[in-house]
Amino acid sequence: MDGRAAVVGMILAVVFAACTAPSPVGRASASASATPRRGGTLVVAASADPGQLNPAITTAGGTHFVADNLYNGLVFLDKELNLKPDLADSWTVSTDGKTYTFKLHPGVKWHDGVAFTSADVKFTFEQVLLKYHSRTKSGLEAVLARIDTPDDNSVVFRFKTPYGPLLERLDVVEAPIVAKHIYEGQDPTKAGANLKPVGTGPFKLAQYVKGDTIRMVRNPDYFKKGLPYLDELVFKVIPQSSTQVLALERGEVDYVSGIPGPDLARLQQNTGLTIAKSGAGSGGSFCITTLIYNLSRPPLDKVEVRQALAYAIDRQQILDKVYFGQGRVAVSPINSSIAWAFNPNVTKYHLDPAKANQLLDAAGLKRDANGTRFKLEFVHATSFAKIGDLVKQELAPLGIDLQLTALEVNAANDRTFIGKNFDIGSASYCNGPDPEIGVRRVFVSSNIGQILFSNGAGYRNARVDQLFDQAAAAADKSERAKAYFEIQDIVTKDIPVWSLVETEGYRVWSAKYHDAYYWSGNLAEAVWRDQ
Amino acid sequence: MTRYVIRRLLEAVPLLFAVVLLTFVLVHTAPGDPVRILAGDGGDAAYYAAMRAKFGLDRPLAEQLVIYLGSALHGDFGYSYVQRRPVFDVIADRIPATALLMVSALLLSMVLGIWLGASAARRVDRLADRVITVGTLIGGATPAFWLGQVLVLLFAVGLGWLPVQGMTSARGVAPGVDAAVDLLRHLVLPVATLGLLQLALITRVTRSGLIEASREDYVRTAYAKGLSPATVLRRHALPNVLLPVVTIVGSHFGTLLTGAVLTEIIFAWPGLGRLLFDATISRDYPLLMAMFLVASVSVILANLVTDVAYTALDPRVRLT
Repeated sequence: MDGRAAVVGMILAVVFAACTAPSPVGRASASASATPRRGGTLVVAASADPGQLNPAITTAGGTHFVADNLYNGLVFLDKELNLKPDLADSWTVSTDGKTYTFKLHPGVKWHDGVAFTSADVKFTFEQVLLKYHSRTKSGLEAVLARIDTPDDNSVVFRFKTPYGPLLERLDVVEAPIVAKHIYEGQDPTKAGANLKPVGTGPFKLAQYVKGDTIRMVRNPDYFKKGLPYLDELVFKVIPQSSTQVLALERGEVDYVSGIPGPDLARLQQNTGLTIAKSGAGSGGSFCITTLIYNLSRPPLDKVEVRQALAYAIDRQQILDKVYFGQGRVAVSPINSSIAWAFNPNVTKYHLDPAKANQLLDAAGLKRDANGTRFKLEFVHATSFAKIGDLVKQELAPLGIDLQLTALEVNAANDRTFIGKNFDIGSASYCNGPDPEIGVRRVFVSSNIGQILFSNGAGYRNARVDQLFDQAAAAADKSERAKAYFEIQDIVTKDIPVWSLVETEGYRVWSAKYHDAYYWSGNLAEAVWRDQ
Repeated sequence: MTRYVIRRLLEAVPLLFAVVLLTFVLVHTAPGDPVRILAGDGGDAAYYAAMRAKFGLDRPLAEQLVIYLGSALHGDFGYSYVQRRPVFDVIADRIPATALLMVSALLLSMVLGIWLGASAARRVDRLADRVITVGTLIGGATPAFWLGQVLVLLFAVGLGWLPVQGMTSARGVAPGVDAAVDLLRHLVLPVATLGLLQLALITRVTRSGLIEASREDYVRTAYAKGLSPATVLRRHALPNVLLPVVTIVGSHFGTLLTGAVLTEIIFAWPGLGRLLFDATISRDYPLLMAMFLVASVSVILANLVTDVAYTALDPRVRLT
């Protein structure tokens, strides 16, 4: 092993059941002192039909929400994003940050009884994830040199340059491991096994009625002893969230994620329900609703104008009226849930229309006879329409005429990221479990191009580029945090994008059920039901 | 008649070709790129290029069209970009649910509509007639997305008689009679939602047709022969009214299909409606093309069946 090997990050084999299940925040859970019981069925409302059940070939939230329960990653991320063992019991990182060595859990079996080995991990990355999982491909392909398998229970990832954020990319959402003996020699995107999945996960597929029901049963040979507790895990496809809530209240389903704001107050009164909130999930984690300023167009090329907008837009109002309080006003483009990388001491812009007016005056943007200084076009998906209405009202007294162009989401993304035909655009940028995954793309100049959810503002700052490279290459987390802190200092002054709200989804489930990993792909691994 | 049917089917070929051509141009020129959408918030230029090559989207549009038409002539309509299965497999999975919903709605609206229309016609300008007439006006003007939600709130949430959503219960249903009853319970509200517009139309056409027929000589003659009102209605007046009813049903097949899309989304019914919505959002070109084709074929067939039905209902009609 090159560079050898001081152990930097190391987790010993911990019995997984000891992994603490965090309590839901909305209401006390009865699970802490109670003994889990075996049996029962959990019916989960799914917003979309998964279409197919191989999570390694897609980043689609609809597929991962269901299919992740059939698979495992090498690591598991707990609610605070701490690394816990999953298929890998332990791991070491070389001092130069270029070599990661994983020890796999012994005796793991695929659902068909075949032994799981390091060859499955190598195959999954090389033949599936690095070709078809868009986030893993774009994140790792350029930096990964090769994957070695010295024995059946060891996997070694070798990088061309030091790479810090690997471990956070290895959970079941970012890197689910699929079976080599099932997919080898086939196009993994078309394989029949995508509808008859063979995983290592806590549940096995029993029935898939397209567009309606996905029924899973307990995997009796699951490698985490004693888990899962449930006999059955059933996903019921219910596209509309309002219908999901009604189905929950009527007992047709037991678990719902994504609660419409107007329903929340009513559900909070229902003592038969447990409510939790989380910014993480299988469809994208730690998302921030963001305005994107087109820096190639005046007057948004002037930093004073962007700062004026920051003083003029009431983000608390957006949080309250658009998101019904489901989230937090953003401080920086790095989500505060990624606590180690989040810098709370950046430039803050409290609501101050007078200051906004001063900045616009100082920028030489005079009002015309009608009191208008300039017009801006806000191109947005229809889901951002309420934000558009609020911002338009707030900017009007400053003499800014905001023209609202509401489009179907794909058309809006095309205008913003591909056609670059906008003054202000909008996106929900999901950070993922590490800023390298979801924040870097927003600011680095190498990511200006016709790519969705890229650096849509066209922001160029050599220091910021350099800091992102440093953060990616450092193996030490404190080194990485230092770089991210400085980045946040810079971009909250430059404001190429304006972070509005850290959105958080509420999950609600019947209080008879406990220990849902609602932030994770493996939702029901440890869920148990009262008798 | 066989020659007529064959001729109509042959005439449909250029029509379907035009549908394919038009939908191909429409779906490919709509803003939004399936590869970028598939990549979601990940992906980079290399991923886009690899997937474009995989799907053949890196070729010029005209070449893509030629390849598509060539494959389609051989019965290969491609793979869904999202589900990665042959598109007709994807569609075939969803047809039974939509067919069940549409056929149930159609049958119910025909039986109830003719009965209500006949009831109103026999009591012209009396209370029952007025109630039915006003009811059909309201029913015909009520949008499905609103009606569906109101029915759910009333019968599922408020009274608790029927399920809120879906085609089956997720747990606790034994196969056999229990499963059939479970299916029927799930069917009631979606069928009521989808069938209301048809019911209103059929009721009104039946009513006006019967009122008109009552003034005809052959009805007067039938009464003069001493036949009972029920017999006159059943044997003489109603068969003449069925023709416009069949016309309504045939010509509104497309509307019914559109209504099914909305109804399925409201009730989480696992049919073609949601599939069409998802395929549109994800710009799943092959799946969208195939769904438009299936919809076009079904409308053409519905019109053909309507024409053939005329011959059964009216011996004077000859199809040549």
